[in-house]
Amino acid sequence: MKTSKFDAWIKRILATEDEEISCSDCFDLLSEYVDMEITHGPVRENHLKVEQHLIQCQVCREEYEILHSLAQMDAEEVVSPQDE
Amino acid sequence: MQCQSTQPPKMVYLYRRYHVGFRSRSPGSRPGLDDIILSMSNHRSNEEWLRDLGSSGESQSTAIEDLRNALLRAALYTFQGQLGSLAQFSQLEIQQLAEDCAQEALVSILKHLPEFRGESKFLTWAYKFAVNIGLTTARREQWKGMSLDDPEDFPIYSHWPLEEDLSKFDPELAVMRSEIWEVLRAIIQNDLTEKQRLVLKWMVFDDVPMDVVVQHLDTNRNAVYKLLHDARAKLKQALLSRGIGISETMDLFGTQG
Repeated sequence: MKTSKFDAWIKRILATEDEEISCSDCFDLLSEYVDMEITHGPVRENHLKVEQHLIQCQVCREEYEILHSLAQMDAEEVVSPQDE
Repeated sequence: MQCQSTQPPKMVYLYRRYHVGFRSRSPGSRPGLDDIILSMSNHRSNEEWLRDLGSSGESQSTAIEDLRNALLRAALYTFQGQLGSLAQFSQLEIQQLAEDCAQEALVSILKHLPEFRGESKFLTWAYKFAVNIGLTTARREQWKGMSLDDPEDFPIYSHWPLEEDLSKFDPELAVMRSEIWEVLRAIIQNDLTEKQRLVLKWMVFDDVPMDVVVQHLDTNRNAVYKLLHDARAKLKQALLSRGIGISETMDLFGTQG
């Protein structure tokens, strides 16, 4: 294990909450959370629980990152290839 | 609905760049790039998606086809970031895999449609099914053929988990890390259940994706997450009881990691 990974693991251990939402709950809330971020909508209590879960759960975090990219691209709509 | 733009959207460009053979369409063939562009120009509202998907006849079949194309796009985009996991597949096979994921996602979405509460855009809600299925598929393909029980593939971790020479780090930090690890090692060996210890070892030390662990244990994500959460809670309590809290570690480790 790399030292940086070890340090990150310690931080995740210390960030553990007594009550954390499950992966299923995170999945249910994820699209709402992503659209809230993209539209800068109001942050609700459930969103904070999603944030906490994403800190701890790598598979859900990876899904969040891809979903956020897709939704962001939809929001931006047409971008020409020359802009890349 | 006609595409109003003369230039393809960014996502389609990525799609085209990766799937260069996916542009033309003859009758009876798979959906082509033009169909994907058309689907992207289709800006249904949430209410229109629900109305069309719940209707019958042509409006329903058009909506389903548009949704399938959007899911295919999401699956292909998901796979673009997983090419290392799918290295054994040809582009054509990846395309087929994406179509399978899109179809599975479509079936799941239609089943769960009554649960859509309209608290996000419909397509954002729908994409997550394709992303979830796509990522799970890619992870399992990457780990296919490896047994988590094989000690040659997954040797039991040694006493010290850090690969680097600690002498190159600040001595105070090295001592702190060493003390923390000794606390954690004692808890892992003595206080965790066998299942917690195994899951922790696979996921934290061996970088095995959760979906592979889920498959191996024939369980679900929630159960594995609970095992990890309970293990973390025990480890946290042990650190706090030794006076090692967030502020102490932040002071020492800074913001790295």
